[in-house]
Amino acid sequence: MIYEFRMPLIVNQMTGATLECLYAKPGDSLKMGSKLFDLSIDLGSVFAQECPPVSFFRVVMREAAWLRKLELVPGKFSQVDEEIAIFSTTPDEDIDEPATRTIRTTVAGIVHHDGMWTGSQW
Amino acid sequence: MVRAVELHLGPLHAAGYNILRSGVRWLYDSGHHCRPNEIFAFCNITLEPVSGRLSGPPPFAEELELQIAFASRVGGRVSIDASTARGGYLSVRTVDVWNPDTVIATIEPDPGADDVAGDPSRLRLLALAGRRMTDLAVTHSGLLPGWHGRSRGWWCEAGETPVTLLSLGVCDAAGLVLGEDCAFAEMFEATQSAAQMVYVPDHPLAPATPLLLDQLQRTPAQFEAIAADLRGFFERSTTPPTANDMIFAGTVLSVMQRNPIRDGYNVFSANGLTRLGPADAVLLSLAVEPTAILRHRKLGHHIHIMRHHQTAAGPAFKAWLADSFEPVRRSVQDIKLDYETLIDKIARTTGGRVIILNRMSTSGYEDVSSYLPFDAPMSDTLSLVAAKEWNLMLEDIADERALDIVDVDAIAADIGGGEHLPDGIHQSGLMQKVLRREVLSILANLRQPEIGHAETPRAAAVR
Repeated sequence: MIYEFRMPLIVNQMTGATLECLYAKPGDSLKMGSKLFDLSIDLGSVFAQECPPVSFFRVVMREAAWLRKLELVPGKFSQVDEEIAIFSTTPDEDIDEPATRTIRTTVAGIVHHDGMWTGSQW
Repeated sequence: MVRAVELHLGPLHAAGYNILRSGVRWLYDSGHHCRPNEIFAFCNITLEPVSGRLSGPPPFAEELELQIAFASRVGGRVSIDASTARGGYLSVRTVDVWNPDTVIATIEPDPGADDVAGDPSRLRLLALAGRRMTDLAVTHSGLLPGWHGRSRGWWCEAGETPVTLLSLGVCDAAGLVLGEDCAFAEMFEATQSAAQMVYVPDHPLAPATPLLLDQLQRTPAQFEAIAADLRGFFERSTTPPTANDMIFAGTVLSVMQRNPIRDGYNVFSANGLTRLGPADAVLLSLAVEPTAILRHRKLGHHIHIMRHHQTAAGPAFKAWLADSFEPVRRSVQDIKLDYETLIDKIARTTGGRVIILNRMSTSGYEDVSSYLPFDAPMSDTLSLVAAKEWNLMLEDIADERALDIVDVDAIAADIGGGEHLPDGIHQSGLMQKVLRREVLSILANLRQPEIGHAETPRAAAVR
């Protein structure tokens, strides 16, 4: 079966998110609990203020699947509901087939770390 | 027919000085309906020595922004006296002697508005003072205009002494203390008890506890060593300092040589010109504490600049940070120890009490059904687990030391974090109102120590 991952609406006011770092690449067999990527959400464009309300999130697999397609690079901004990745239950399924459903993932707020695209603290 | 009440300036004294004021500047059009204690106008102020010669520096020499804002004690419709505006530079320059009998407006009080403390025909006065980050930061528009390294507002009636709250937090503290117009108007409106609110911004240096401890202990010689180190780096840097480097470095040094926790304050009011001691309470934000902080390799002092403020620095200043400082990791225990040391040191040096805003530790944005995918210790990765641990750390400190915790976590959960604290740090107006009441309740306990620090009436405030 083919699964898709679209940029989820994590925060009500968000318009999209920026990829901070990747933990998987196309062709990888991912287990339940595997890290997929870290995202940052900047609500600065929604609330006009000088201190940008930026929060960071990690997307983790909640089921096993093969990552087949991933159109993200660190620093890329993706709109809410934009298709980000395609998964399949076996390594060689035709990914041009329509997705059966959304892949099951967990989203958790995380602490900023030095491996992120936005750089270290200094 | 409702009888209109003339609103008089009321008394304001500063022995040895003439108090001069500019024309009145209006925040609303005539006919605006004002809430009781809502600021509706202001003017600039200067204190001119009566004798023309001073034996020492004038009392507000560092605070080039000095204003009085006006509010009616009763709610109602305000009609302004347009002739008091003067206009042009006469609404900026101080041209009239303060006369307590001057009428600047009339108000048609709301029905039942006669139940008010004090004379309803006498305006409530909010005094405002701003110490510019640089004397070049001159702006003439609005309340407390310009770029300030410290701003403050105070109010009191005859015979009262203000209790001082010093805000040394980040956005969560700034919002509730400064308010939306950045002039303490909401705090002033929320309480009629004599108080002084002092705000020190979180830039260029963010007020993490290691920096506050450094500031409390720094000697003039140590400051000179820091300044010499920075100058020396710029001189030998292969990256020539840009204008941004110079401005940023100057601002950092300007902040480093001050010590807001030890600051005393000149105030003038109906009681005359008096000197208040250091802040009775210091408001901190748990949210500002970093898990790693920069420490100077040789001199040992700390620097913490929030990432969105770092962009203001030029390449040479950033090179100084990279070359001369090393990141030091901080465990929860390290942060706890820093807080304990700071609380003890403030208590010893000024007698001030520490109030702290804790962190929101829940979120509707997560959908974690299992924590198995996350490595231990989870607080190193998961921000809300970290927030819970840090909040508990504050409770542990409060068990042994005089520390008032404003429970942002519980208040956000009560009124709805998604709506009122969407990113965990920037609150809605309603949330600021609730937090403000909480802080004012703690200050009320400071005024009446015999009552003790009973639980603050958060539940009532939320209702």
